[in-house]
Amino acid sequence: MKLNIDGLLVYFPYDYIYPEQYSYMLELKRTLDAKGHGVLEMPSGTGKTISLLSLIVAYQKAYPLEVTKLVYCSRTVPEIEKVVEELRKLMDYYAKQTKTKNDFLALALSSRKNLCIHPEVSSLRFGKEVDGKCHSLTASYIRAQHHSNPNQPVCQFYEKFDAVGRQVPIPPGIYNLDDLKDFGRRKGWCPYFLARYAILHANIVVYSYHYLLDPKIADLVSKELAKKSVVVFDEAHNIDNVCIDSMSVNITRRTLDRCQTNVETLQNTISRIKETDAAKLREEYRRLVEGLKEANVARETDIYLSNPVLPDEILQEAVPGSIRTAEHFVGFMKRFLEYLKARLRIHHVVQESAPQFLKDIYEKVCIDRKPLRFCAERLRSLLRTLEIADIADFSAITLISHFATLVSTYSKGFTIIIEPFEDKTPTIANPVLHFSCMDPSIAIKPVFGRFQSVIITSGTLSPLDIYPRILDFRPVTMASFTMTLARTCLCPLIVGRGNDQVAMTSKFETREDFAVIRNYGNLLLEMSAIVPDGIVAFFTSYIYMENIVASWYEQGILENIQRNKLIFIETQDAAETSMALEKYQEACENGRGAILLSVARGKVSEGIDFVHHFGRAVIMFGVPYVYTQSRILKARLEYLRDQFQIRENDFLTFDAMRHAAQCVGRAIRGKTDYGLMIFADKRYARADKRGKLPRWIQEHLTDGSLNLTTDETVQLAKHFLRQMAQPFRREDQLGLSLLTLEQLQSEDMLKKIAQIAQQA
Amino acid sequence: MADLRAAVTHGVPMASLSEEVLLVVKRVRQRKQDGTLYLMAERIAWGPEGKDRFTVSHLYADIRCQKISPDGKAKIQLQLVLHTGESTTFHFANESTALKDRDATKELLQQLLPKFKKKANKELEEKNRMLQEDPVLFQLYKDLVVSQVISAEEFWANRLSLNSVEHSLSNNNKQEVGISAAFLADIRPQTDGCNGLRYNLTSDIIESIFRTYPTVKQKYAENVPHNMTEKEFWTRFFQSHYFHRDRINTGQQDIFSECAKQDEKGLKSMVTQGVKNPMVDLLSLEDKTLDEGYGTATVPTTSNPANKTLRENSNSAIIKRFNHHSAMVLAAGLRKAEAPNDQASETSSTDGNSRDSDFFQPPLKKVKLQEAIEYDDLQGDSGRKTIALNLKKSDRYSHGPVPLQSQHYTTSQDIINSISIIQHEMRNYKPRLTQVMSSSAASSAITALSPGGVLMQGGGQQTINQLVPTDVQSELKHLYTAAGELLRHFWSCFPVNTPFLEEKVVKMKSNLERFQVTKLRPFQEKIQRQYLSTNLTGHLEEMLQAAYNKFQAWQTRRMMRKT
Repeated sequence: MKLNIDGLLVYFPYDYIYPEQYSYMLELKRTLDAKGHGVLEMPSGTGKTISLLSLIVAYQKAYPLEVTKLVYCSRTVPEIEKVVEELRKLMDYYAKQTKTKNDFLALALSSRKNLCIHPEVSSLRFGKEVDGKCHSLTASYIRAQHHSNPNQPVCQFYEKFDAVGRQVPIPPGIYNLDDLKDFGRRKGWCPYFLARYAILHANIVVYSYHYLLDPKIADLVSKELAKKSVVVFDEAHNIDNVCIDSMSVNITRRTLDRCQTNVETLQNTISRIKETDAAKLREEYRRLVEGLKEANVARETDIYLSNPVLPDEILQEAVPGSIRTAEHFVGFMKRFLEYLKARLRIHHVVQESAPQFLKDIYEKVCIDRKPLRFCAERLRSLLRTLEIADIADFSAITLISHFATLVSTYSKGFTIIIEPFEDKTPTIANPVLHFSCMDPSIAIKPVFGRFQSVIITSGTLSPLDIYPRILDFRPVTMASFTMTLARTCLCPLIVGRGNDQVAMTSKFETREDFAVIRNYGNLLLEMSAIVPDGIVAFFTSYIYMENIVASWYEQGILENIQRNKLIFIETQDAAETSMALEKYQEACENGRGAILLSVARGKVSEGIDFVHHFGRAVIMFGVPYVYTQSRILKARLEYLRDQFQIRENDFLTFDAMRHAAQCVGRAIRGKTDYGLMIFADKRYARADKRGKLPRWIQEHLTDGSLNLTTDETVQLAKHFLRQMAQPFRREDQLGLSLLTLEQLQSEDMLKKIAQIAQQA
Repeated sequence: MADLRAAVTHGVPMASLSEEVLLVVKRVRQRKQDGTLYLMAERIAWGPEGKDRFTVSHLYADIRCQKISPDGKAKIQLQLVLHTGESTTFHFANESTALKDRDATKELLQQLLPKFKKKANKELEEKNRMLQEDPVLFQLYKDLVVSQVISAEEFWANRLSLNSVEHSLSNNNKQEVGISAAFLADIRPQTDGCNGLRYNLTSDIIESIFRTYPTVKQKYAENVPHNMTEKEFWTRFFQSHYFHRDRINTGQQDIFSECAKQDEKGLKSMVTQGVKNPMVDLLSLEDKTLDEGYGTATVPTTSNPANKTLRENSNSAIIKRFNHHSAMVLAAGLRKAEAPNDQASETSSTDGNSRDSDFFQPPLKKVKLQEAIEYDDLQGDSGRKTIALNLKKSDRYSHGPVPLQSQHYTTSQDIINSISIIQHEMRNYKPRLTQVMSSSAASSAITALSPGGVLMQGGGQQTINQLVPTDVQSELKHLYTAAGELLRHFWSCFPVNTPFLEEKVVKMKSNLERFQVTKLRPFQEKIQRQYLSTNLTGHLEEMLQAAYNKFQAWQTRRMMRKT
């Protein structure tokens, strides 16, 4: 249908629309008009993606000079592919309605592992291997060698792309990962580099967060994206952690040992080259004197060696004299390495800030701040000069150099923690140096600064105001949308007690209590008897799950559950879990019914949807607080308190509740879907916890269902399931939670829609 | 076999010689009377000593189950429980070999009972069902069997085989009963009071174990009975590390350790095979993982198993075991259902035809993606989902079986051409009004073709149902069906190429004659009495005559061959 969103003609590829989609588009339009950033929360399964795409594409078509590009960031590969498929649907609809050929270029970009078509390289299993192998075939000096020595293997696909691929633009269309591969195969071009090149002039780019947030990659891939782009972060509830992860470094004894060998290799190579080809080193020296401006030449393929910060100012400067010659630099690295080794030989925990660290290093081994900053760039240059074949071997020294650059660049927002052993095993020495980023805004700042509109959206962003605070930006719109429902298809219940009235809670003091574990078990057992098909249960941590499963096994609870359903359990091995997941779905599919025991914050809770019969009930055992004893977390909490005035408890609760909401939200993926959401911990009933759940869940949480016993839960659940089992037709929804174009245009409805969005 | 069955159906209680005796056990007491127990092909019987007569005789089909007295009891007994609820107890009284006798009987019964359980019940049910559902058949049954024109045996012999095709089909379609996930939990060990455990195993549980863990079945086949007794096998099974996998059991030679290893291997291969559905593949979920050393998460310690405590190890073993067990149970349920499918797909892939249909099937990933982005409530009705016709051989569907004669095939090009020619002609069609039929000629033609017209003479005749009273009609119908049935039996004997068929054809001929005498003649006389002139039975007689002629011809040919 064709919609009029605040004066903008929007093609929407469906015959019906949810009221909240309309409302969402209105808010989005306002954000784009204001050229500002937005935070929008809308429940999953209400067609967020298609609303986003419809509106932004319409906007692009209407004002091609205002918004030139849409950069859509999602988290997982299936998500990315889903977005592109929805986009394809939209574009097909455009073509059908306007009877013109699509002139948009939209494509997905993913890592080499998902795009490579080289027969040998693509057969490798791990992303790292693929990257390494690809590098060894496409690096600039390898290709230079190939010119003089045709026996040197290179990648035919890249060569062909390099020869002609850049002149001929990729024809307009929608390219998913598989389409890119097909196109690449047809043309004989490398799809990965083709995609990386094509994103510069594509209208829509869909890729993962890392390409924008991880400075190591963003610098290479996304550097030249136009300023007039709209950036969307979908499923953004975890965006702060992605930011932090991409800036943090851990250094262990093993890293240092491997770095040591790296340094030795470098030294040998240098002395060898010096004998044979001293001119090369002299040439490098000359370049470094001139500065790093040329550093962009042939950088495209040398992904490993990029700088972890955005070194605009550094690129203008020349490398300091003390590390300009190759030997001096290696000597410098050696000294730095020795210093780090010494720091790891401690018997107590040390925590210090970056300036303290720099001061200490200057006092102990006379290393200045300035050369440290150039470490990453200098190493990059050296490795290229030395023509190191397999760059993957040098990951350790690269890591150390990144650490050096980071620690000397940022004086705030980072902390250094050196732990001599793990908390659980104080007898085993396993020293680790954590260089931990505490401020997610550091990584995302360039994104907010550079692009005119950044939209942060997810099904669970409550409470909305915390994201602008921790990411340090000023949004022009912040809104949370509810799900309009013709029938209440979600049923959140808080179970606080077992039948024996013993409180159910995963509080640290009582979590190992026999009665608590038994009550949790009985709850699962009772539910397994009444819920059809699939049940997903989440635990607060992996270790807790292991313990509970073991004691349920000893108590015979699992046996009884097995009478009702098959049991599958997430393990720490991803491949094993994938298999369990597939079997779980199979069991739901063939009517046997199954239970999946899983972990909040685990891979399953973050990436897998349990639509319809794959998840008729989700049980959240306990409140998924993060492990609070970790020093890194403590440091971060302290930082949040000092910098953003966010209290520790507020943040911890916020973090726990967003994960809980993520977990339970996995079961509802649409209005025709239905599911029970069982929060099995009495602490959920407290206002400070409950208030942090997304609005669309809170709304259905009645006062009567705040502190239930197992029996009461079973009664309510039975009632709910029986109601939901009734046939649900379109007519039931029409006019309430599903609108035709006429219904949408009526005055009443527009008024109602205005209430859907709650401004924060 | 045929005579055996005859013996049973006639219900002769005596030990007729035709019955095959599988086992004879002497000195078995029943109701405090000594006697001999006979296990025959289809029944179990007991006769008191010195008499030539069975006082107890049960068909295997009637027996619900057998029970035996526990080991160590003074009296060694075996009880048979019938479907009716009655039970008969035999006491094995031969002191030296009582236990052996009993076990031999038990073993044999164990093998025999399941066979009859299914067969007998199913057959009887099937017959009943057919008679109830089909009134014509029921009438036929009454006409032929009750009036003893042919025996019930003969009547069904043909019927059931006729239906056996669809029968077996419906049987195949019947869902295989799956395995309860908790079957191992159902084997609750009971303490026997003196520091031991007792497990009660039923054949269902054993079946479940075998189906879920084929490796155990293999071990069973390898070891029982030559290496150990059944009992010993199961004792070891329950003692084994395999059963209590969570408990760390060190040392001890164990026949099941190999099973565990094989299972481990199976699990590994399942894992390395990966998953088919890309949406649940956690390995390829992340687009770009952080390199080693980056990120806030601490370095994983799992690489160092020595760090793990014993308890943690056993916990993860339990988890692994549950996953494996559930997967095995699921697989056991699917294994049988899948087998025929596999075959079908195998055969289909050998002929070239199916390949293109495979090709057109969108890859799983695409399907899953489409599924994931679909909002069926937003979509209009126009996009109704239809089930795609999946043709193995599409030409068969569009053309049907055509005799391979010198037929001139029209190519699709021809068809298209001719359509376009016709379309062309239609477009240019102009009625030539001067050359049409005159109106008078047209109207006379219409009258001639209307009811009562010259050309519609036949319609004016009185039909048979107006001439003949209804009771005669229905009787005639019955006669037709009965005759038809008999004739079908008769004709089905040709070509006569076995002695059995020879015998049957002779019998059928006499049956036909008997039918003519006992049924057809009285009917003819009856209609004669009622002065119904039309030759109602003419056709029936013709049919019979045709059969007689055929029989005659066959017989003379046989005579000639003999002489």
